[in-house]
Amino acid sequence: MASETDHSLGEAVAARVERRWATLSIIIVGLLVGMAAYIGIHQATMPQGRVETADPKTLHLSGEFIESNLGSEMQADGSVTVRAIGQQYSFTPQCIVVPAEMPITFRATSADVVHGFLIEGTNVNTMLVPGYVTDLPVRFKAAGDHVMPCQEFCGIGHQGMWGKVKVIDKAAFRDLAAAKRRLTCVD
Amino acid sequence: MSDQPLFSVRNPWFRTSVGITVVIAVLSAIAGLIWLPLAQPNLKLAGVWDAICSAAGVPRAALQEAAVKPDFKTSNVVMTSEMLTKVNQVSIGRGATLAQRCAICHGPQGVSDAHSPNLAGQFAAVTYKELNDFKTSARVNVVMSPFAAAMSDQDMKDVAAYYAYLPRVPSNNLDTRRPAPAVVVTGAPMRNIPPCGSCHGDIDNKAGSPWLGGQSAVYIKAQLEAFASGARRNDISQQMRNIARQMTPEEIDQVAHYYEAQP
Ligand SMILES: [Cu+2]
Repeated sequence: MASETDHSLGEAVAARVERRWATLSIIIVGLLVGMAAYIGIHQATMPQGRVETADPKTLHLSGEFIESNLGSEMQADGSVTVRAIGQQYSFTPQCIVVPAEMPITFRATSADVVHGFLIEGTNVNTMLVPGYVTDLPVRFKAAGDHVMPCQEFCGIGHQGMWGKVKVIDKAAFRDLAAAKRRLTCVD
Repeated sequence: MSDQPLFSVRNPWFRTSVGITVVIAVLSAIAGLIWLPLAQPNLKLAGVWDAICSAAGVPRAALQEAAVKPDFKTSNVVMTSEMLTKVNQVSIGRGATLAQRCAICHGPQGVSDAHSPNLAGQFAAVTYKELNDFKTSARVNVVMSPFAAAMSDQDMKDVAAYYAYLPRVPSNNLDTRRPAPAVVVTGAPMRNIPPCGSCHGDIDNKAGSPWLGGQSAVYIKAQLEAFASGARRNDISQQMRNIARQMTPEEIDQVAHYYEAQP
């Protein structure tokens, strides 16, 4: 049986160890919160800020995802909005044309099942979920061609589903946008 | 062991740990629900409450901005996989009477050699969609358009139900030993072409995709070429144009003859 002195000594050690572990845990929690905040602001990860809905069955009837409204649009504020849909088993538009070094917003959704939206060579990698609009700010550093495969198994024809993203020079894009309101590079 | 209660504000351990946890939670909530959303200019938030709602994931319908309207008619059919799948005897009976006027081109049993599509055993949703598209001019054909224009929505459903009820009849060109072209079975993934069979029935069926077995090769070829050139545009959101555009003339030919030879 322990004496009174032994007991209070043990208690002091326990309290010290406890305090150190608590401090360490708090530092770790604080660090994780700070990291999440940092990459949130600098958009190393791109969490979507808003949940917007769109009925997958009636995309072609009205709203921003009707066939003639798909493609790249030059906005008044100097940014570019790209609208696209994924469906079994293709993306529309099949070829997306965007400018380099300009702020771009991708707005896309699915007309049937979950599809993937990934642009090779960039950190664009998200999903198109039926019922919801995927909204993604992107900026391409240089002109070039990228492939855009569906990276979410969406059915038996999944392997044939991919699109192209053609990044072109800013000035060339402006010229195209002056002539046409919705741009694609589908031939 | 002390008899001091563990969960009490008088316990300094309890007080400090709960206090710190609450402080972290509150700071994280302010950062995540208010500060971070407001730091994203492209969200165009209306204020603090809007920031909290959007960060918490409250869904809202997408803003309806002025969309560019098409300069041609697109299909207005809302296609679902359940569409017209329930067998209705009354509808089939009415459809049989209405279908008499279709027999000249489509045959009394829904099968003909006139290079017009064979309708016997076709999915009801497919026949209905095409009739509706002819009626709204999303699809145009000199012979079909006037017929469809005179039909009511119920007429179109009845005719579709009747043809779906008729048994499929193999064409005169039936040849089940004909090997399936690669594009039917595997597609051409390098050219963005999924297998034809993944929608048209051999492997899987996508709602609205017709059964192609026994169709006239002339007809299939003409339709694929029309999709590829954009002369036919009633496929919802370009689902068939996207594919037909990528196909070579040889592939179109192979596919047309393969499906003609199928039951
Ligand atoms: Cu997909």
